[in-house]
Amino acid sequence: MSTKEAPPVLHAPARRRLKAPGQRNFSKPVRLLLLAALVLFSGFPLYWMLNTALSVDSELYGQAQGWWPHWERLADFGELIGTVPIFKWLTNSVVIAGGTTLLSLVFAVLAGYALSRFKFYGKGAAGFLLFATQMLPEALLVVPIYALFASLGLLNGMGGLILANVAFTMPVSVWIIKGAIDAIPYEIEEAASVDGCPRVTILSLVLTPLILPSVAAAAVINFFDGWNEFLLAKTFIAERDLWPASVGLASFVGQYLTSLNSVMAAALLFTLPALIFFLLVQRRIVSGLTAGSVKG
Amino acid sequence: MAKLSLRNISKRFGDTKVIHDFSAEVDNGEFLVLLGASGSGKSTLLRIIAGLTDATAGDVIFDNLRVNRQSPRERDVAFVFQSYALYPHLTVRENIAFPLALDKFKGWHHIPGISTIARRVFGSSKDIAKQVSGVSAMLELDQYADRKPGGLSGGQRQRVALARALIRNPSMFLLDEPLSNLDAKLRAELRGEIVRLHRLTGKTFVYVTHDQVEAMTMATQIVILHNGVVQQHATPQEIYTRPANTYVARFIGSPPMNLMAAAVVDGQPVVGGLTLAAPDGPGVGQPRLGDGGVTVGVRPEHLSVTVDGGRQGLPGTVRRIEDLGADTLIGVQPDPALDLKTWELNRDELIWIRQAGQSRLMAGDACTVVPEPGKASYFDSTTGENLAPAGRNSDAGAVPLGA
Repeated sequence: MSTKEAPPVLHAPARRRLKAPGQRNFSKPVRLLLLAALVLFSGFPLYWMLNTALSVDSELYGQAQGWWPHWERLADFGELIGTVPIFKWLTNSVVIAGGTTLLSLVFAVLAGYALSRFKFYGKGAAGFLLFATQMLPEALLVVPIYALFASLGLLNGMGGLILANVAFTMPVSVWIIKGAIDAIPYEIEEAASVDGCPRVTILSLVLTPLILPSVAAAAVINFFDGWNEFLLAKTFIAERDLWPASVGLASFVGQYLTSLNSVMAAALLFTLPALIFFLLVQRRIVSGLTAGSVKG
Repeated sequence: MAKLSLRNISKRFGDTKVIHDFSAEVDNGEFLVLLGASGSGKSTLLRIIAGLTDATAGDVIFDNLRVNRQSPRERDVAFVFQSYALYPHLTVRENIAFPLALDKFKGWHHIPGISTIARRVFGSSKDIAKQVSGVSAMLELDQYADRKPGGLSGGQRQRVALARALIRNPSMFLLDEPLSNLDAKLRAELRGEIVRLHRLTGKTFVYVTHDQVEAMTMATQIVILHNGVVQQHATPQEIYTRPANTYVARFIGSPPMNLMAAAVVDGQPVVGGLTLAAPDGPGVGQPRLGDGGVTVGVRPEHLSVTVDGGRQGLPGTVRRIEDLGADTLIGVQPDPALDLKTWELNRDELIWIRQAGQSRLMAGDACTVVPEPGKASYFDSTTGENLAPAGRNSDAGAVPLGA
């Protein structure tokens, strides 16, 4: 038996690695550079708020503002904002935003479930009407709601404000959550019902954990809507102690004098709770991106 | 333990009727397979038994209790889904414990928030943990107990689904095509597993499939459905040997039963010049076949093929040879006059013959197909009904072939 030399293996010409469409890989330094630019872009306003809050008046109204904050003024921080009940306002804001989020999510999960799973007369209309609420600007509705709340005795209180906020923010959440429930195979619910769950328990034990990423996304939207809301709060709440921080912040702006560094100091405090909330919820949203890999 | 009776079940979705007047009695401990092509209404029927779908008319009776209005839970059935339907957010252990934990729920435990805590507390209680580990050991799931369903293969997921059904010790197991998402090897393995569980529990199983192999190997009774109408309800053996009509004859068996049109001359069926034995009539000496036509059905294994032109049989040309290893399937075109081209144009049906071992025949060979005497079935050529009375295996004519 003659040993023949194996024919040389032909290598295919080196080709670029196939990539999923739309997926572009930059080299590491480029990626780092891009990230740095992004961080700078989103972080600079925050930094400038701090810088302004810690600068002296003469700087703000006179010569150009320096690049570095006057750290020594940190001690005066309390004094800057001590003249107003800022922490009271922040607490109000937390109550209002939290209440709005909680109430809105409870309604949204229930309504989203009904819109996703039940057949009923007027289902399409109900879904559309929810969307239609988003077409009307708040400014248009603030007077009618004011009149309504005045007759119901809901003015000048956080409960009424929460209610009004929920009316504006809930529809979006309903649609987010309806979409999430649509994506969950109905068989899982049937399995739960065979296992002995009534509908409420299916919703709380099986469905809600599965749509948690969407619930978290809706929570972020609701919380920030509630946190940032100004028009309704300014209109409905007259008593200074019941103001949320958004209204309180605006009160710094006087007719003749606006203490810019005080405004910035307060604004900084105003941003922090929202930032913390987002950091807490954000992990849930990200985990939702990979949840799709679990097949029913 | 339950005896299942279905009485005149009908189901329509809008204008389409998917189940027509279905009735069946299933004794305790039977393994009933609902077999049919897709769209035959078999899954709908199973869901009606489970209580996941309501019947438009008719009664579902467990033992002597009409359960039409009862929830799946109250019916005490377990359901295994084709898509497994595991809870993706729970571990294997929690998935299996889920129904038992729910058993312990009292009214107020269902309040949202409390239910989550209650499920955890009950699910990790000692007695449940013991049962869970027992069942998962039985299905060889111990080493996956702390994984989530996402980290399991299809076969393992279906095992978890089986475990979840098993742990409740229900009165009846309902399985909806549980193996159709698995590959062939796993399917055979889990088939054995399910049969083993059936023997072990001694409970009634109702199993939906479109796979005749699953039906034939697992069932004690098969119901064949076609467009919502029962074609035959019998044991696997009877369905194979005495198909109730031509639909069943074509549906069961791979390759299916060969059906040939035959003329009836003097009470004897004649296929392509070959006179077959006349089947016995219902009464002694009473001819069963009226003049006109009849459809003759012969299983592939009841035919043999030979190149010997002298033998009495159907002349033909070999067109297909499929060597399966242990067997060889030979497709014979019955009309030898046709050349290859016209045959391909016509796409006439082949007569399939199953032969043990390898065959020396080649495509294009002229041959003779010889039926085994007395193994043919006869069907009415207009209605397709089997002419042999139920309970008789085949028309084993006592008269030798060609007499």
